[in-house]
Amino acid sequence: MKRRLLTLPAFLAALSAHAAPALPPQEAAAWLQKISDASRRMPYEGLFVFQHGGSAQTLMVSNRPNSGSSESRLLTMDGTQREVRCTQQASVTLMVNGNQQRLERRLNKRHFPDLLPENAAPLANWYSVRSGSADRVAGRDCGNVEILPKDAYRWGYVLCVDRNTGFPLRAVMINGEGRPLMQYSFAEVRLGTMPRVDNRPIPAIPETARPVANERVEVNGLPPGFTRIAAVRRQLPNLSGEVEHWVFSDGLTHLSLFLEPAHRPAETIKGQSKQGMINMIKRPLGDLQATVLGEAPMATVETIAMGLEAKP
Amino acid sequence: MMTKASTQQMPRQDEDDDLSALFDGELGAERARLALRTLGSSPRWRERYDTYCAIGDALRGTHAPAGGADLTARVMTALEQEPTVLAPMRGPRDRRASLWLAAAAVGAITWGLWSQLPEPHTAVPLAANDAHPPVDVQPYLAAHQDFAQAVISPAEMNFTQVSLAESRP
Repeated sequence: MKRRLLTLPAFLAALSAHAAPALPPQEAAAWLQKISDASRRMPYEGLFVFQHGGSAQTLMVSNRPNSGSSESRLLTMDGTQREVRCTQQASVTLMVNGNQQRLERRLNKRHFPDLLPENAAPLANWYSVRSGSADRVAGRDCGNVEILPKDAYRWGYVLCVDRNTGFPLRAVMINGEGRPLMQYSFAEVRLGTMPRVDNRPIPAIPETARPVANERVEVNGLPPGFTRIAAVRRQLPNLSGEVEHWVFSDGLTHLSLFLEPAHRPAETIKGQSKQGMINMIKRPLGDLQATVLGEAPMATVETIAMGLEAKP
Repeated sequence: MMTKASTQQMPRQDEDDDLSALFDGELGAERARLALRTLGSSPRWRERYDTYCAIGDALRGTHAPAGGADLTARVMTALEQEPTVLAPMRGPRDRRASLWLAAAAVGAITWGLWSQLPEPHTAVPLAANDAHPPVDVQPYLAAHQDFAQAVISPAEMNFTQVSLAESRP
């Protein structure tokens, strides 16, 4: 009884510690870079759970870094079989449903735990960083790092990073009130051990995206910190015809803009996922229909959607 | 309070141990669940909880201000209450389980939480416009995930029709 009472304050301190001050920008930038490097440069293999809006999925993930690049693999363990494989050359998604297989090219190589961009330091301009309480995830001691937006244009994250390596073991996306929106959390992970070599070649699939030749839309007044990181013409799964897909990002938050010919009488529609994590605006734009969506507050989606202008 | 508690201490020693062990995170998953239930329903346990908090505050030389818990703590508390997010029970575990076994266990825990907890309500209210029938956003969301998180679950979305003028900030 006595021994337990002695450890009680430590427990309570973790529960109700006073909010730590935000780290000075330089220190914040260094922390963000350390976390980013750990998730990309370390070999690892593990299982994590992804949870969002009433559903949960367990995924296996592995990463084999080699001189300057890496090979990673993501595999769903429940539900429809879905496998993402990324190498220096390509990133593909393979979906298996009974006897049917579908292969799609991905336009980006990142996935959890690789959440922060390769050059993570500039994030410190838009997010403040605070160190939180100690915790334990997947059997490893970790420390919480709060990455909180400095304005209302992005969601925040609470990452629990491995004490020794800075490797993110858990990531919780939170809204402005600190309410969890989604979570990735390792259940089991082997850090620093090179996973088995996956010898299966990545099937060659034709390039499905091509650059936008002739831009018909102008974007006025992006929210602070956001830049356009991609603009391609591509086909979307289960949707006929090509669309233009533009992506805006501050390095951590991503929003997509889809432009396609307007087929029906145009209307403006707002959409929001149950917990408010994903926001969307669909609006007419000349003879086009624009759809802006992403895991960001409605203010961000609205600023981008309403700043669009059809070029004459 | 203390007199009352001490006269009843003998038969309740095990219970007290459980509450204390719960605070220390030393209780197995099953007993922790039971203990949490007792904490929710027993005024006597709540009283002890308050005392423990006061002891903690006194030992730290601080009194936590109302709502003074740090963000991480609040988020973790919310996770424990949310059906949307898994709250792993911090109990003794066999670390030798293989990855595959862990996957099965995680699935089971998740399902248990899901089936017991109520549905959350929307945190952010939608604009008071007409509700709009569902729009198929899945192709867009799937394409968006190439750049965002790579992992998607079909999002349940609510839609409203708005006028452009109204949407302008």
